Amino acid sequence: MAEKKQRMTDHQVLVRHRGRIAQIPIYLGKQLRMFVYQSDWKVIPMSALIAGLVGMVIRKRMFINMEGSLMGAFALACVGIWNGCFNSIQVICRERDVIKRMHRSGMHITSYVFAHMVYQAMLCLLQTLITLHVTRITGIQYPAEGLFTRWFLVDFGISMFLITYASDMMALWISTIAKNSTTAMTIMPFVLIFQLVFSGGMLALPEWSKPLTMLTVSNPGLKVIAAQTDYNHKPVVTVWNAIKKMKDSEIGGTITVGDVLDKLSDTKNKNVRALREIEIGNVLADAEQAAGEMELAEALELVGALESAGVLESAEALELAEALESAEALELVGALESAGAATEANTMQTEGTAATEANTMQAEETAATEADTVQAEGTAVKTADSSPAAVSGSVTIGDLIDLARNSEEMAEFRNQGITLKTTVGKLIDFVGKKAVKKTLQEKLAAGSYNPDYEYTKPNIMIYWSRLLLFVILFAALATITLEFIDKDKR
Amino acid sequence: MQVLIGDVVRFYFGSTAPVDIVLRILFFAGLWRILQKSGVKGWWALVPWAREYQLARCAHREPEGRAYCITSFASDIAVLILAVVERQRGQIEDVDTLTIVFLVIGVSLELVWIVFTIRVFSGLIQVYGLRKRWLWLCLTSYTIWIPVVVWGFVKSYQPRWKVEDLRELMESLATHGSASVLDQGLTVNLKDRTVTEFFQKKVLLKDIHLSIPQGHMVLLLGGSGAGKTTFINAVNGYEKANAEVMLNGADMYTQYKHMQYEVGFVPQSEMMQGKDTVWNTLLDSASLRLPMDVTAEQRKKRVTEVMEIFGLEPVKNNLVEKLSGGQKKRLSISMEFLSNPSLFILDEPDSGLDGVMARELFEQLRKIADTGKIVIVITHTPDRVIDLFDDVIVLAKDSARTGRLAWYGGIEDAKKFFQRDSMEKIVKAVNRKEEGGDGLADEYVLKYAEVQYG
Repeated sequence: MAEKKQRMTDHQVLVRHRGRIAQIPIYLGKQLRMFVYQSDWKVIPMSALIAGLVGMVIRKRMFINMEGSLMGAFALACVGIWNGCFNSIQVICRERDVIKRMHRSGMHITSYVFAHMVYQAMLCLLQTLITLHVTRITGIQYPAEGLFTRWFLVDFGISMFLITYASDMMALWISTIAKNSTTAMTIMPFVLIFQLVFSGGMLALPEWSKPLTMLTVSNPGLKVIAAQTDYNHKPVVTVWNAIKKMKDSEIGGTITVGDVLDKLSDTKNKNVRALREIEIGNVLADAEQAAGEMELAEALELVGALESAGVLESAEALELAEALESAEALELVGALESAGAATEANTMQTEGTAATEANTMQAEETAATEADTVQAEGTAVKTADSSPAAVSGSVTIGDLIDLARNSEEMAEFRNQGITLKTTVGKLIDFVGKKAVKKTLQEKLAAGSYNPDYEYTKPNIMIYWSRLLLFVILFAALATITLEFIDKDKR
Repeated sequence: MQVLIGDVVRFYFGSTAPVDIVLRILFFAGLWRILQKSGVKGWWALVPWAREYQLARCAHREPEGRAYCITSFASDIAVLILAVVERQRGQIEDVDTLTIVFLVIGVSLELVWIVFTIRVFSGLIQVYGLRKRWLWLCLTSYTIWIPVVVWGFVKSYQPRWKVEDLRELMESLATHGSASVLDQGLTVNLKDRTVTEFFQKKVLLKDIHLSIPQGHMVLLLGGSGAGKTTFINAVNGYEKANAEVMLNGADMYTQYKHMQYEVGFVPQSEMMQGKDTVWNTLLDSASLRLPMDVTAEQRKKRVTEVMEIFGLEPVKNNLVEKLSGGQKKRLSISMEFLSNPSLFILDEPDSGLDGVMARELFEQLRKIADTGKIVIVITHTPDRVIDLFDDVIVLAKDSARTGRLAWYGGIEDAKKFFQRDSMEKIVKAVNRKEEGGDGLADEYVLKYAEVQYG
């Protein structure tokens, strides 16, 4: 026994072979040679081609608006995943026999995998640089300043590199599982589909499947790029663009005066209350004067106030504005007048401009609205059996509304329907293009806010860490799997 | 409780309907008898999933049986999950999506299960020597009990092939012995080499005891599946067996990390990077195999020496994939030769080589053996170079499908022992009858054990 031990010790002292660290340069050198001899270099121009294609699609949207930024983030994450996967999906399975032989000749699997990690990192770095350069050439407007460094491209490059590298390590692991290239390339599409579907950003996923997104490289990849595009502070343009495309579409509907008055009588709403308390003075002393003062602009202002106060929905506000603008104001005045508030003009049967005359309410082509046709159905107040009710002192809008709402004589008027018919474009022009666009973009942007895409240092760091964890995890899995390579035959 | 019983009944019989239960019981009864007829214990018919595997064994389709068993298990699990999800409908959000997922998985597995059912029952039909039209009855759960009951209970239906009980055979062929350890040479005392596959322990090699002195060139003979590669892997410590392997007095197993450089193993296929140059391939091998204290200059010198020995100098800058078959073999050997190992093992180094080239190669190996190294060679065409060998190891697959030592000794003595005049005839003698051999493996194994150990 002692003799045997002595022999063993002698052997160990006399012959010392390369350890794990010393073996790494052997395989690294081999892989670098393979880069040249085995056409591994092809992945470099391929990455440029992919970046070019994607860049052409996203260049005018990324970093500019919310949708473009998210789409660009998804596309660039896919570029990274694609590059990474195809770098290493075949590298181990194609030389499985060689690895087996080297393993029994003293090769350490850890050294071999680490050499691959170093080599693949170089490859990924090169691809990242190419991707950034090509996408810049295609016209993507990268910001100048980064969050972590002075150069945004460096920050962004780190993200792209980590996505590519994590995918690369994932494919390396698959390559250790697959016994040959055919199997590896069969598995590959499923992995890519899984990555795309469960990225968690582009497709709406059911609640139960959300944890699966934690298993994908695409999830932190998409989020980190979306965050770096400052997604949350970009405008939303899709809806506005869709509306613009619909500018010639006709829209219309019917509303009654009573509906409008009901809205304006909701005293629970503080904004309505405030509106109602506005004094308009003794304007009704003279019907002509009242009509003149009840200018369209004033009515529209009220509607705008109601809308911004949240009393009315946008569509309702628009309808109301048109109604007021075209006829109701006049009718209201007419009604008030007929109810005795005014001293003159029993019956208003006038045609023509809104301010002065209106009997049959067919206000066509009013200047202010530019609405195509506003056809107020029904008749205006035909008669006004006046029981003079003198208005003394100050009158509020609320008084007027209540009067119009409660007067029995105006019942017919309240039921009067007004058919609105116009186009989307003209309606927008009426409200104000800039205002509509701004409101839409602001409200939709607020609705699309996603804390995951917040452009903050901690957020970015979390995603980088997750990607780095994937790198380590997959490399460890590749090592463990490859340690069982000698069991292949069984 | 009632629900639980219902679930168990549904799971075991596939339904709770009395008719279905009765049909299923008939199926189990028939299966019990079929297993018994084939030499398998009947109660396996009652064990879910295992019965599929045992049935496949009876059908002489063991590999399919594993997949059949696994698919059956997975399919049942998918159905089980589906039932649970179904029961909790309304409690889980998006339950419909989840149901669809498991439904898709379940249906896919069910389809695979059907394919394996067809395969296994086809095998059973062949084993019973029946017409293929029986298979139609095996395709639905409502009719499958008919063939099973008929084959199981009708006496005229008998299997032509039975599952063998290898344990009994193995016990009847047991031999014992040991080889004395050589200070300079290779000593193998292998009790057994086993693997566990699908819950079954398989003995690949058993009772191999031999000592090979230094400088001997040994031929390793044996039919297909006799365990030659397993034996080599056990000897060089790559796949450890229940054995003691000593090379020049050092234990191959306990000192494997150091002893692995003392063994040069040349695999059957080249296993080299085709896109690398000859020089770089050898230089990498030298870096891996030579000790740390060897300088870069010394490594290059050694590579140059070896290239000269094996005639690779003219192609040193060529890519490996561009070399001829003979050159590749020589490169493969020279990769192992770099570290000057004490034990050289070559797995069919002459495959793909013509007679002249093969002869040249074996002469080179003889020269290596003459320098005091042990060279073990596996070849399927030994007679053209038999004069170059000192000894022969004959491995034979016995009735229990285990690789056994049928001979180790000199070439001429082997011919006398087997009463054959060539190595190829010796292989034929120990090969199984279904492999075209004489089926005398058991006889020679016992005879050799008797001669060797008494």
